[in-house]
Amino acid sequence: MVTAFVMIKANTGEADRLRDSIESIEGVESAHIVAGDVDIIAKARVETPAAVKEIAATNIQGISGVESTQTYIAMD
Amino acid sequence: MRFVIIGAGRVGLRTARVLREEGHEVTLIEPDETMVRRAREQGFTVVVGDGSQEQILEDAGVGDADALGALTGDLNVNFTACMIANHYGCRTIMRIDEAYREGIYRKYAAEVDEVIYPERLGAIGAKNALLGGTIRAIADIAQNLQIVELTITHDAPVNGYTISELQLPADATVLAFGKRDEELAIPDEDLSLEDGDRLVVLADFDVLSDVRQLLVGETPGRAAANAGAGGVN
Repeated sequence: MVTAFVMIKANTGEADRLRDSIESIEGVESAHIVAGDVDIIAKARVETPAAVKEIAATNIQGISGVESTQTYIAMD
Repeated sequence: MRFVIIGAGRVGLRTARVLREEGHEVTLIEPDETMVRRAREQGFTVVVGDGSQEQILEDAGVGDADALGALTGDLNVNFTACMIANHYGCRTIMRIDEAYREGIYRKYAAEVDEVIYPERLGAIGAKNALLGGTIRAIADIAQNLQIVELTITHDAPVNGYTISELQLPADATVLAFGKRDEELAIPDEDLSLEDGDRLVVLADFDVLSDVRQLLVGETPGRAAANAGAGGVN
């Protein structure tokens, strides 16, 4: 299994909608609205590193209102 | 009152100056040496360091301050400082860096009493200057609610009416009135509205163009165009 954290920078005030859309993506365990220079952090647990890329690059970045994402893969 | 301001940049230092002019006690927190020197040259008390550190906040007297203004350009510093200050019982004001975040922080940041976006106020000033003359936006109260000052013109439909005869749309209220060249005051029903008098009105964006048409005498087309430019979001 691969665990990844995706930092999401938005460009809309509709943080609720973004969080709900992100949480509904398969493989995303949880998503939280956070204070600071990113707006949402999502935690994903999937089978392969390729699936992480699919979640971050395709699914999350495909949501309107998402400006950019940064993904961190857990090593432990 | 006693205030702690984090960040001695353009926003922080100016805020500190205004507070001091009004007789309040202000302590600044700033890590950058050049900024610290500049603030001290202006006679301010400055604690050197990172405003998101509890010890630094304590050194600046957060314990007995009435309010804290987290006015740096760094959201993480601002939010952390507000969290700590809130714990000390301070009122907290946080500066944000992008317009869309206003709503998010108002809704979710329970530790923050008020969110400010300085660029919004700058935009109001710029818009007033651009529009010139008869209409001046004073503040955005909510997404769809604005306070504007309007100057009655010779061509205004209400020119010559008294305030009691004035009928504004339902979603608009007169807050203050001032005769030409006199101070604004609570409106007196018997005063007449004449060329050059000023009215301060709280209005919903939907009726703002109607209000402008009535009070300033703009043509419907121009009023609608100006209403479209009403917000500063």
